[in-house]
This record gives sequence, C-alpha cells and structure tokens, in this order.
Amino acid sequence: MALCEAEKTFILHSVEENFRIDGRQRGDYRPMELETNIVAPSFGSARLRLANTDVLVSVKLEIDSPTLEQPKLGKIEFFVDCSANATPDFEGRGGDNLATEISNCLSSAYKSSTAFDAGKLCILKGSKCWKLYVDILLLECGGNLYDAVSLAVKAALWDTRIPLVKSVVVDGNKVDMEVSDELFDCERLDVTGAPIMVTVCKIGDQCIVDPTTAEEHCSGGSVVVAVSKSNFSTILQTGGGSLHPMTLLESLKLGQTVAQRLDSTLINTLKQINDNSTDVGFLK
Amino acid sequence: MPVDLKRINGPENTVSYKLYTPSKTFKEELKCLFKSNNKRQDGRNSLEHRKMFIKTGIVSQAKGSAYLELGNTKVIVSVFDPREIPNKTDYSQKGVLYCEFKYATFSCPQRRNFQQDSEEKQNSIILKQSLEPAVCLHEFPNFQVDIYALILENDGSSLSAAVTCACVALAHASVPMYDLVTAVTMGVVDNQILMDPTLKEQQLCEVFDETDTKSDHGIIVTSFMSTHQQISQFYQTGNINLENISKSISISTDASGDIKLLIEKCIVNHVLKGANKSNEE
Amino acid sequence: MSNKIHIGIASDRVNPSVALNQRVPKIYTPGEVITEQNELMRGHGTYEEDGCLKSSVAGLKEEVNKLISIKPLKSRYNGEIGDVVVGRITEVQQRRWKVETNSRLDSVLLLSSVNLPGGELRRRSAEDEHMMRKYLQEGDLISAEVQNVFTDGSLSLHTRSLKYGKLSQGVLIKVFPALIKRSKTRFHNLSVGASVILGNNGFIWICPTVNTEEESVGGFIQNLEYIVPIEEREIIARIRNCILALAQSKMMLFDTSILFAFEESKKYAVAELLLPEAMVDVALLTQQRLTLLENQ
Repeated sequence: MALCEAEKTFILHSVEENFRIDGRQRGDYRPMELETNIVAPSFGSARLRLANTDVLVSVKLEIDSPTLEQPKLGKIEFFVDCSANATPDFEGRGGDNLATEISNCLSSAYKSSTAFDAGKLCILKGSKCWKLYVDILLLECGGNLYDAVSLAVKAALWDTRIPLVKSVVVDGNKVDMEVSDELFDCERLDVTGAPIMVTVCKIGDQCIVDPTTAEEHCSGGSVVVAVSKSNFSTILQTGGGSLHPMTLLESLKLGQTVAQRLDSTLINTLKQINDNSTDVGFLK
Repeated sequence: MPVDLKRINGPENTVSYKLYTPSKTFKEELKCLFKSNNKRQDGRNSLEHRKMFIKTGIVSQAKGSAYLELGNTKVIVSVFDPREIPNKTDYSQKGVLYCEFKYATFSCPQRRNFQQDSEEKQNSIILKQSLEPAVCLHEFPNFQVDIYALILENDGSSLSAAVTCACVALAHASVPMYDLVTAVTMGVVDNQILMDPTLKEQQLCEVFDETDTKSDHGIIVTSFMSTHQQISQFYQTGNINLENISKSISISTDASGDIKLLIEKCIVNHVLKGANKSNEE
Repeated sequence: MSNKIHIGIASDRVNPSVALNQRVPKIYTPGEVITEQNELMRGHGTYEEDGCLKSSVAGLKEEVNKLISIKPLKSRYNGEIGDVVVGRITEVQQRRWKVETNSRLDSVLLLSSVNLPGGELRRRSAEDEHMMRKYLQEGDLISAEVQNVFTDGSLSLHTRSLKYGKLSQGVLIKVFPALIKRSKTRFHNLSVGASVILGNNGFIWICPTVNTEEESVGGFIQNLEYIVPIEEREIIARIRNCILALAQSKMMLFDTSILFAFEESKKYAVAELLLPEAMVDVALLTQQRLTLLENQ
C-alpha cells in the first residue's frame, strides 16, 4: 500500500497535535482481545487480537538434556510461522526474514535469567530438563507484530502448566523418572518478569506506539524495546532509517513506561480469566 | 538443521575439552575481571578501546575490501559490484544491501558450522540495518550490493568490528554514502560498563549468575554516523536499566567519533596511494 | 495519565449484529436450486444445469422482471456507468493511469479524460504525456466517475468535472461496497463540519470541508502547508470511527446514518469509539433512530 503526500502530511500533523487519525494519543493502544487455553493438545496457549493483527501462540513441552555449557538451565525456543493465510506475501519463503527477526528478538529478550528463569525448567542437573517449544502463528497481519506477539507469548506462558515430576531415579548412567499424569498435578510457570515488547515509531519529531499500517508508512525509523519489569532486556532498531541519540533516548523512555502499563494491564486481564469461562475460539 | 552432505562435517556430539577442565564460579570470574590496579586483564581502563588496525584492498578480486584488527579480533569484509536483485519481479526504486555475517569455523573456542546459525543470521540483519541508512540507496535502483563479513578470529566485539570494517570496505568500493558508520560494543556486568569487551568479558556479560538478581548485565552494540549525529542501529540484549543505557549511548557515540577519525585517515591514505601510483605510471 | 490500555477477554466479546428481530431474507448458497422454471433469464451469480437455475455464489436473490441474479454478500466492486469512485493511482503508463478501485481488475484513467490545468478543452500534447507524473503519481488518491465498463469488467474513469480530481489532506477508509447506499449525491458536506465522499466502490474519503469556489482549479493541487486545526481533526476522527462502527455492524452508509451515528457518539471520547462495546452501542442507537425516522 502506498500513501500519497497529502495523506502523509495529514498523519504527520495529527501526530504532532497529539490527536491521531483515529483519535488516539501518542501513547495509546488500540483495544485488544485475549483468549487463553484455546488449543487443546498444547500445555498452554493464547490468542491475541490487536485491531487486524491476530496471533496464536501455543506452548509444547518435551524432555531434553541440558547443554553441557549450562547444565543447570532448561531450554526455551521460539518458532514463528508466517502463515500465507495472513497475507499472500508470505507465500513460499516470503515470510522467512520476518519470522527469523521476530524469533531472534524473542529469544534474545528471554535469554537473561532475570527476564525468564530457565533454571526452573531443570529437572536433574546435567541430564534432564524441560524444553519449551513456543510456536507462534501469525493468522493475520495488521501491523505492530512485535507487540502483539510478545503479549500473546506471555499470556501463553502464563497459561502453561508443567506436569509434576514425581520421582527421579539415577542408576549408574541411566536416569529414570516418573511424571504425574493427573490433570491437576501441575505447576504454573513464573512469568512476572517475562518481557513485553513495544514498538516505538518515530513520525516527524514525535514518537508513538502501536502504529496503524498507514502510520507505519510515515515512520522514519522505529525501535523495538523489550522490557522486563523495569529493565530493558532487548533493544533493536528496525525498519531502516536512523535516529538521533536524543530521540533514541526519548523513545526508550516512552517504550519503558508504555511497556510497564501494558504489562500490568495484561496481568490484570489474565487474572480475570477463570478456568471455567466458556470457550470462544474462532466461532462467534 | 539440514546436514550439508557435500561437506565433511566434524563428528557429531563432540564437546570442547574446556568443559572438563576445572572451572571457576561466576563470582571468582568476576573478581578476575580487573587487576589490582583497577585495570582490565589486558591493561586497559574500563572505558578504553582496544588498539585498532585497518587496511583496505585485501581481497583483490572484490570491488572493495577491508581488513580490521581489534586486539585479537580479526575481520575481513569484501564488497562486490552491484548486480540486479535476483528473484525479483517488480521494480524497486531503491537499491538493496545484502549482508552476510559469518564466523570462520575455527574463529571461536568452539568449532562453528559451515552454515549460518541463528546468531550469525541475527548479526547479518543487524549489519545490514547498520549500513542501510548511510548508503545512498536511491543511486542504484533495482540493484543489490553484496557485503560479506568473515570473522577470522573472535576475541569479542566482533559484530561492531564487522560494521566498521564493512563501512571501510564500502568506501573502498566507492559505493556512495552519506556518512561513515562506526560501531562500538559496550558490555555491562555487575553495574560496570566496559568498552570493547574481549571474548572473556563478553561471555561474563552474557551469562548471568542467578544468585544476584539486582545488578545489570548485557551487551550493547551502537552503530553511529557521527557527522549527522544519527544512530543507525542500536542493539541491546541482557538486562540493563535506562540509566546505564543512556550512559552507554553517550560513551559509545563519543568513541565512534574517535574511530571515525581513524578510518577517515585510512581511506585518505588509500586514495593518496592510488593517486601516487597513477602519477608514476 | 489518561491513556489506559484495554485488553478484553474473548468470552466477553460483544455481538456486533444490530438486526433487531428483523426478518432475515433467504440466503442462497452455491449450487442451490433457485427455480425450476426455464422461462426466467440467467443473471450474475447463477448458472443453468439440468433445466434448473442454480446459484453460484452465496447471497441474496434479486429479481428484475424475468432476470434473476444472486448478489453476493461480500464482493469486490462491480462498476456501473455513472458511479462515483475513490481510487488510488498504482501505475503511470502511456497516456493512462492505472487506478486501484477495489474492482476485480485495475481501472484506467486516460489522459484524455482528465481536465488539464489551463483550459478545459485543449489538445493533449506530447508534453502533457511527459508531465503525467506531475499531475498524478503513484499513491495519489482521486475521486472520479465511471465513464465506461469494458467487456472484461475493467472500468474506465473520467474526472472531467470540477468536483472530481486529486484528493488533498484527509483520511481514507475501506468498507464493503455493498454497504454504500445508492443515492444521487456522493459528495456530502456534513453540517457538523467535514466533507465525506462515499465512493460506490466502498472507499470513503473524509476531509475538512472545502469551499467549492476555491477548488475550481481542476483538482491537481494539494495544499501540504495547510495544517488542519485540531477541532476539524476531531470531527474527522469521530466520523471515521463512527463509519467503522456502522460498517462493523453491517449497517448501510449514507449521510443520515453517518450524521445520526455522529450525534449518538457524542457521549464517548473519540478514542473510546475504538472499543467494541462502544461501537455496537453507537450502531444500535443509530439503528433505533433510523427506524423511528422510517415509521414517521
């Protein structure tokens, strides 16, 4: 989609006036919709819809052995699938670059142990640990992917239940273990520190969050900021263009405050979801 | 990952013998970071850059190339002539940069694979985004410039070395640019900011001990165009608060300015040499 | 801080339908037999098999005398001569522009069917051909009228009237073409202080009110210096969100419904109109007022 100069001017002025084309202020988000526990075969799942962006995340668990370098840590891996359902551009290998960028950004953000404690996933030091496969499926692309993906991932991890390990028996080199098969014998992951990503978009001399596709076209550069509690766990500039150091600092500040607000809203919403609420899924 | 059958791969499931040598704990390693006189192991202050060596015209067949040494980190970057964007049907107004970042298989303590792994892919993207704002892309529409960065020896800060080296190689290849891009890596560990960390220091910054959750740790790579005062790429990972980040930004932009003077000199030398040669002929 | 972030729960989702126990007309599905009589004529969206007339799309039946056609619920725009459309230039070609109009095929705007600056009727010189990008370039938005429909369904447009031409500052929104109610005027200067062009192709353009005298240059001027004042901006944003709310509830769009929705939305702040609950509320209230109006 191309925009003409007049439309761009209109958007530019609207950002300067702090009254964007849909009436939002610079730091405002569009309303979102969240559902957890939506995929039955997975250990945790979530679907987040932000305007036209639709993300489905599912978490699968498997037993693996820890790496020799870090025998005390479990593993977490992110896979992003840009389905051609989202836009025909993703057909074939079209979405591969975007997918690598998002999954690399996620793994970089979850790498620090303060953001996500992989030590909890370890069962027996050096020989057995849980491995989390976080599969991210982009069902629809309406801009602002990073933010939506990070929110959905956090919600899915919140929803994840890890079966309890009843006993581990070490017999020489052989390790045997028994895992509970009971439905409610499981524990939740601690995801309070899981990072939230915010894309801060520079339009004119101002910075905004949650840009619409039209606003993304007017942007002169953007920064993806992953914030865990109050610290930054990843910062990555995207979308070409360069920023003045002062602008970068300002956008970092904006990203930090917005991410903290977003995080507390998400946690509140997740707490409201009770287990026996009705399934909605893709119907209705 | 698919296995490349045309190449002889090393045996699978081998590990470095280092894992079986007595290892120090995180706290002990942290103590070794500084010597008694508050200098780092190689005698630098915490905010001192390593000595740098740059040379252009290393690869004779490439349009432009450069070699850069940063302490023990050694990088070769070659830039090839613009060619039409492969597998593209529609016309694009702007040119495209294609960057490939690769560690030589023997460059790191642990042997690397021939194929790009995810870290190398990520670095390729960062390298591309660092250079893109500086290159006058509109001057070669529908063309692609290939940039290959090869790390011969990795002793920390290899990504920023590759960015700086790629910029010199682009200048050597006479690709039009608005400004020179220089990059600096900063490491943060235990609330200390270290400029241009070595591999040892970098590993300390990346790996974090969970017994102490308050202090910051992480890596920051800043690519800066000092004439225009613009940051072309900013990459951070780890867990760092805003204060340390803003401190690092100002330190690394200053350092980038210093490096820029150096590479300017290198480029001028190269041009002068070329001029003398043509005079002789 | 005022900016609250809203994350709703899926089970609390509101139903956007505002059809108040109205009779739902029969909807035909592909392959369904419409009629077994042969004396009827086959229109769009139907086919004949085994002597029966069957539907080929999902939609409503339309009968004009003996012609039977099925109109799909959701389709791309089917152009008709005389329609007013809003479109975006996608390509500049020899003596013509390609225009994206939400139609099945790209529409064309011939250089000979635009008013060039400096005289309404003059020959198109070779110079004009070179200057085409000066008048309209890729990405530009225009309002135009459908001049002709080719056999393959692609449209030929013209802007040979002062009300058509290049569009300046404003907002474009896209809705289903079927939601635009057919009426004589497509250009509405709403009394609340903004202009709306309801393109038959489902593209709606909202812009600050324009003085018709000022715009009589031929429509190739964009004023990029002009900063739209904040009050007008608010009105435009409100209209935009109202139209989206109506479109989400599948309500017909015409000047009265937009005005009603605008008035009913006053109790919300503009940004609040993005919330699904508020959107349905506005649509419902508008629906009620429209039925009142009909019953009078």
